[in-house]
Amino acid sequence: MLIELEHVTKVYNQGLANEVTALREVSLRIDDNSMVCLRGASGSGKSTLLSIIGCVFQPTSGRVAIAGKQLSRLPDRFLTLHRRRYIGFIFQNFNILPALSVEENIMLPLVPLGMRPMVMREKAAVLMERFGISHRRRFPAGQISGGELQRTAIARALVNDPPLILADEPTAHLDSRLSHEFMDFMADLKAAGKTIVITSHDALVTEHKAVDRVIDIRDGRIHVS
Amino acid sequence: MFLDSWSIALVICGLVVFFMMGFAARSAVRVLLYWDPDSDSGRQIKLENEIWLTSTLVECALGVQILSLTVFVLAADHFSGAIVGAMCATGSLLANDFGVPALTVKIGGVFLYGFWIVLHQLDIRSERYPLVRLKYIYLLTLLPLLVLDLSLGMMYIAGLEPDIITSCCAVVFGEAVGGGTNLFAGFSHFLSLLLLYGSTALLFILGGLLLAWRRIGLVVVFGGVWLWFFLLALVVITTLFSSYVYAMPFHKCPFCILKPEYYYIGFAIYGLLFTGAHLGMSVAVTEPLRQVVGLEEVTERFQRRATLWSLVLLALFTAVSSWHYLRYLLLGGQG
Ligand SMILES: Nc1ncnc2c1ncn2[C@@H]1O[C@H](COP(=O)(O)OP(=O)(O)O)[C@@H](O)[C@H]1O
Ligand SMILES: [Mg+2]
Repeated sequence: MLIELEHVTKVYNQGLANEVTALREVSLRIDDNSMVCLRGASGSGKSTLLSIIGCVFQPTSGRVAIAGKQLSRLPDRFLTLHRRRYIGFIFQNFNILPALSVEENIMLPLVPLGMRPMVMREKAAVLMERFGISHRRRFPAGQISGGELQRTAIARALVNDPPLILADEPTAHLDSRLSHEFMDFMADLKAAGKTIVITSHDALVTEHKAVDRVIDIRDGRIHVS
Repeated sequence: MFLDSWSIALVICGLVVFFMMGFAARSAVRVLLYWDPDSDSGRQIKLENEIWLTSTLVECALGVQILSLTVFVLAADHFSGAIVGAMCATGSLLANDFGVPALTVKIGGVFLYGFWIVLHQLDIRSERYPLVRLKYIYLLTLLPLLVLDLSLGMMYIAGLEPDIITSCCAVVFGEAVGGGTNLFAGFSHFLSLLLLYGSTALLFILGGLLLAWRRIGLVVVFGGVWLWFFLLALVVITTLFSSYVYAMPFHKCPFCILKPEYYYIGFAIYGLLFTGAHLGMSVAVTEPLRQVVGLEEVTERFQRRATLWSLVLLALFTAVSSWHYLRYLLLGGQG
């Protein structure tokens, strides 16, 4: 999916004493079926930018169009629908619910869609098979290894089959073998036609051969070197 | 009478609505000045979020105001216990100069407030807030009415004195000897029934036609006939149907049918009439929205449903309101 940002500014706590300008007038275009890496120091605004692309929240001003449509400006009821359909989000610490089983975690995004349990199970089963975690299906997610956790998080982001995958520092807590594995999964997804945006300052990620473009962010601005 | 629990309920309702509308008026002014859906400015984005909250509040406030008509009538009925000469709401409403105007404004308000809710419901079914400007201009025009509504209600309550001597419904609507001040006296039963059932039939024909074959003219006529039907039905309920409910030919009153003695049948009658009439008129009121980009389909779907439902409610209204009358005709005055 084509992503266009024009003059996007994000101010947290606007008008308060703890006001922070996390993004300043960011303009950016991410082509369909490309893999882009957002690189920058901690606090530079990567997560904020990714969250705005993912319509997790709105920019303070500026335009964010996904496939030509300003999703985040839609009234809530429409936004939620679109977000579920178009966007798969992999969080920095994976945000997996430890008390639920691996399978339940993966099915989670399908629950609000009112799908029949049978159909949800089938979809989850296909993904667990593909990522080699079928044998952990019934395990509480709190009791599986880091690598399995990561695959569960990817599977959960993919279960809606969204065209856009966003990952926020996915390799921050992984060793280099798992980081490689993660990037290989992402490369497969790109080959399957998805658009992928990853934030990272890990060279393993930014220098991966499937990455089309690395965008440097400094102090809330895109830095052209 | 300000310390009565019913008065307090009405006053609190009024204050809550008033407060919320004051808040809404601020947003309305901002919408008029700055609303621009094509802009990406921080102000527009903030305004969109603000409008979302305000509109929800306004919808609530207007809903409360619509329901307050019921509270108002029940309160008036309750006050009748304390007013000399009053037997029901008729007497208490006539106890000072503000009762009847307050009731009239409230009845009119039910429809005008209701139309705002219809607009809002259509607006939020589109992705791009196409009716925001219209909604808030309309809201601003509703404000004076709302202020009038609330102040008449308060003045009515404030002006109630237990020692005022008023009349009761038997005098006001009855065909008491001497004619005098009674309303609607001499209105022919036959003529009014002919008009009422004739209009009912006309509504069914128009509604049926509309569902099969829609034309703008037809839509407007349908809404107009519903307005006429609503007013006519109020008169016929008062002068004719009510006395069959009471099974007393000289007892004619639009309010006593709400009492528990008559199994609250009045709530069913008025509920069906108000809802049906509101839906019927909304069909006409929403007609111009079919031109609005992004609302064509939504409006058309609403109009079809509103037409259909107004006819269903009309059928139920006819059955419930005529029930006692028909029973009388068939059983021959057995009560
Ligand atoms: N929810 C928030 N409230 C207030 N400030 C925030 C919030 N999230 C992030 N920030 C601030 O915004 C800036 C950018 O943060 P972030 O986007 O998380 O950067 P990165 O992901 O590159 O580390 C930082 O200064 C951070 O403190
Ligand atoms: Mg971050």
